[in-house]
Amino acid sequence: MDLDESLPRRRFMKAAVAVGGASALSACLGRAPRAGEPVPEGVSDPSELPQRQHAWNDRVRVDGDGNVHLPRHQAFLYLTLDGDGPPGDEARETVETALGTLDRAYERSNEGLIYSLAYSPSYFDRFGDPLPDSVDLPEPRRLSGFENPEFDTQDALLHLASDRGDVVLEVEEAMFGDRSEANGIAVDATLGDVLIVDDRRTGFIGAGMPAERQAQGGEPISGIPDSLPVPDRSPLFMGFEAGFSGNQATEDYVTIREGPFADGTTKHVANLRQRLGDWYDEQSFEERVMEMFSPGHAEQGLVEGVGDNLGADSGIDAFLDPETIEQSIEEHGRVGHAQKAARANRDADGNVRILRRHVESTDDDLASLHFPSLQRRLSTFEDVREAMNGDDLTDNPAIRQRVNNGILEYIFVQHRGNFLVPPRRHRALPTPRPA
Amino acid sequence: MNRRAVLRAGAGLVGAGVVGGCLQTESRSVRSPPLVENRPDAVYYPTHSEGMEMVGSTTAGEYRIAAMYSYPHRFWEVTGSDTNLKKLDGSTAMHFMTVVWDPETETVLPNASLTVELTKEGALADQTNMYAMLSQPMGLHYGNNVEGDGDGTYIASIEVGSVPEGRVRRSGDFQGRFTEPATAEIEFEYSESTRDDLPYQEYDDAGKRAALEPMDMMAPSATVPPEGELPGEVHGTATSGDAAFVVTVQDTVPAGIEGDGQYLSVFAHTPYNRMVLPSMTLSGALAGDSFALEPTLDPDLGYHYGAAVSEVADDDTLSITVDTPPQLTRHEGYEMAFLEMSHMEVQL
Ligand code: HEM
Repeated sequence: MDLDESLPRRRFMKAAVAVGGASALSACLGRAPRAGEPVPEGVSDPSELPQRQHAWNDRVRVDGDGNVHLPRHQAFLYLTLDGDGPPGDEARETVETALGTLDRAYERSNEGLIYSLAYSPSYFDRFGDPLPDSVDLPEPRRLSGFENPEFDTQDALLHLASDRGDVVLEVEEAMFGDRSEANGIAVDATLGDVLIVDDRRTGFIGAGMPAERQAQGGEPISGIPDSLPVPDRSPLFMGFEAGFSGNQATEDYVTIREGPFADGTTKHVANLRQRLGDWYDEQSFEERVMEMFSPGHAEQGLVEGVGDNLGADSGIDAFLDPETIEQSIEEHGRVGHAQKAARANRDADGNVRILRRHVESTDDDLASLHFPSLQRRLSTFEDVREAMNGDDLTDNPAIRQRVNNGILEYIFVQHRGNFLVPPRRHRALPTPRPA
Repeated sequence: MNRRAVLRAGAGLVGAGVVGGCLQTESRSVRSPPLVENRPDAVYYPTHSEGMEMVGSTTAGEYRIAAMYSYPHRFWEVTGSDTNLKKLDGSTAMHFMTVVWDPETETVLPNASLTVELTKEGALADQTNMYAMLSQPMGLHYGNNVEGDGDGTYIASIEVGSVPEGRVRRSGDFQGRFTEPATAEIEFEYSESTRDDLPYQEYDDAGKRAALEPMDMMAPSATVPPEGELPGEVHGTATSGDAAFVVTVQDTVPAGIEGDGQYLSVFAHTPYNRMVLPSMTLSGALAGDSFALEPTLDPDLGYHYGAAVSEVADDDTLSITVDTPPQLTRHEGYEMAFLEMSHMEVQL
C-alpha cells in the first residue's frame, strides 16, 4: 500500500480512506491506537434509532450560524446483488443483522458512524410489482444537453460518514473484508455475504481539506492548476462555502409523507469532475463571486473570502426575479450558479426544496465532487438541475451553454444515480410494496 | 503579400540540444511573438500563423465531426464587448479543435456545446469545454488549449451537445434537428516532434488591415456565399465594427417560422473572407415596426438573422441595431473587430 507514514495525522487519515482496504485500516489503527481515542459505542437496541435514515443534522457538528457540517470522511459503496430476480428472506435477514451490528458498534454521530443504505430503480425492477405512487423514483437520465454521464444502476448505495477516517475503513473491512470485530463488537453477518462492492468512491469535506489535497507529492492533481490556488480555509475546491442552513431544505421537508416508505426520502447522486485552471487563473475574485453566487453579490461586495461572512444564508433570494437576472446579464454578461439553481428551488411558500450534501473527492487523483441531493420526489432534483442549466437564459448570446453560465464551464458530470432511502424499518432489501 | 517563413522553432532548438520541458517553454515563446502595437479596432493580420495536424473525422448521431490540433494558441474570450486574453501558461500541450457540421447540407453548426476528454492508455490527460471560436485560417470552429501526457496514442472523446432552440431557431428541414447530444471517439497519435514540425510563419505586415486566407481543413467552412449566389434578392449592405451585413428579402417565409408575408434575412460576415458571424443579438426596424432579427439555421439559407415582415416596399429603410456583438472566442487578428458595433441604416 502506498501511504506515506510521515504525513500529519489528519492528512494521513484522509489518504488512508482514499486508498482503503485492510492494510490502510491497519496503518490507521497503528497510528491512532484505539486506547488513545476510543470511538463512542452505539445503542444496545437498534430499534430505538429514528426511522429516518437521512436524519443526520442533529447528529453532526453545527456551527454558531446553524450551518450543518457534514462528517469529514465519507465513502460511497455501490453494491450489487448476486444473480437475477428478487432477493430472498435469508438475504434480507443477513442484511438486517449486519446493519444491526453497525448500530450497536458505533454511536450514530459524526464521532461514531452515520450511514444510510439506499436502493435504485433497477433494484426494484427485480420484483414483479412496481413502487407505489407515493414514491417518485425514475431511472437516472441525462439532465442537460451537454452531458453524457454513466448511469449508476447498481442495486444499492451504502453511504458511510464519520469524522474518523479509521471508522469508515473499519466498517468497510467488517462488512466486506475479513475483520471480525467492529469497534469491539463481534461481526456475525456481513453485507458482503449478500452484496458485492461494484464501485467504491470516497469523499471528504471540511475547511482546509481541499487545499491540503490539491497537490500530491508536489504535483497538482488533475483539474487543479500549477498555481495551487485553492484557499486554505475553503471546504470546497472552488473556494467557497456551501450549504448555508437558509439555502437547504429541512430533513422534514424532503421526507416522504405517505405510503409504505413514509419517513424515507429520494436521493440523487452525481459525480462531477472539476477543471479549475480557468476558474482561478483567468478570473478575478469578483468574477468568481458573480459566477458562483450572482453578479449582484459581487456588485454589493456581499462575499468575503470563502464566504463565511454570509452567516446562515447566501442571500440569494434577493437576486432571483427574472428582471434582476436579465439586467445583470446585460450589465455583466454573466449569471450566477446559486442564482439560476435557486429559481427552481423554492416552493410556493418560499421553502427550499432540496437538501444538498455534497463532498469533495480526489479519487483517481482528480478533483471531483460527489453530489448527493435529497428531496421528497426525485423529479424535484431534475427541475432544479434544469434551472441550473440556464438554457432559458442563453437567448442572450453572452450566456452560452457552458460559458458565463454559472460554474458550468468548470464541472463535468461523470455519473448519475437515483435511489430510494427507505425508512429504517424497510432498510434491508425491501420489496416495492412492504407491509 | 510579404510573408516571411521563419525557422521552425522546435526543430532549431532540438538541434541545439535542448531537452524536455525546456524545449517546450523555449519554443512556445518563439511561437508566440509579442502582439503588434496599436492594433486597429478592426480585422488585421496576426503576427503569425501555424499549420495544424488532422486528428481524424467521424460521424456521431446526426453530426459530422472533424478534429485537429495545433500548437497551443493565445486567444480571447468575449463577454459582451469585453475581451479577456487567455494567456499561455506553459501547462498545455496543444490547441485542440473540432468542426461540427450537418453532413447532408454541409452546414457548419455554431452554438453546440462541445466537450472533449483526452485519455492516453486509459488515463485522463484532460477534459475541457471547447469554446466556439473564430480564426482567420479556420473560421468558425470549437477549440481550447489542452493538457497532454507526452507522446503516444490518445483517444479524444468528443461530446457534441444539443444546439439550444432558444439560441438558434431552426427552419425548413432543420426543424427539430440538432436537439440530441452525441459522442464521438477518435484515436490519434500525438508527439511533440510532430507538433513542433507543424508549419509556422510570421508576418512582416502584421497589424495591417487584412486577413489570412482560409486553410484547407478536411471540413466545410462556415462562409456566406458571394452576393450573386445568395438566395433571395439582395436589397442592400452595411458595415458595422468591420463586419459586413447583407440584407436579402425572400418572397416566402421559411417553413416553421410564423408569418405569411416576406422574409428579411440578414447575413453577417467577416470582411475579406466572408466567414459567418453567429451569436449576436440583432434587432431591426422597418416602416415603424421593430422586431428581433432572430438567429436562424435553415438548410437553404444557412445561418442568418431573420424576421418575417408583411411587405418590403422599395425605398423602405431598414435599421439594424447590434444589441450584443458576436459572442465568440477570437483568435489573434479578430479580437479587436466586431465588438463596438454602431447602428446601421440600409436603404432597401
Ligand atoms: C463543484 C460543484 C458545485 C459547487 C462548488 C457548488 C457550490 C455552491 C455554492 C457555493 C452555492 C451557494 C451557497 C449555498 O447556497 O450553498 C451553491 C448553491 C446552490 N447549488 Fe451548488 N455547487 C456545485 C454543484 C451543484 C450542482 C451539481 C447542483 C445541482 C442542481 C447544485 C445546486 C445548487 C442549488 C440549488 C443552490 C442554491 C441554493 C438555494 O436554493 O439557495 N450545485 N452551490
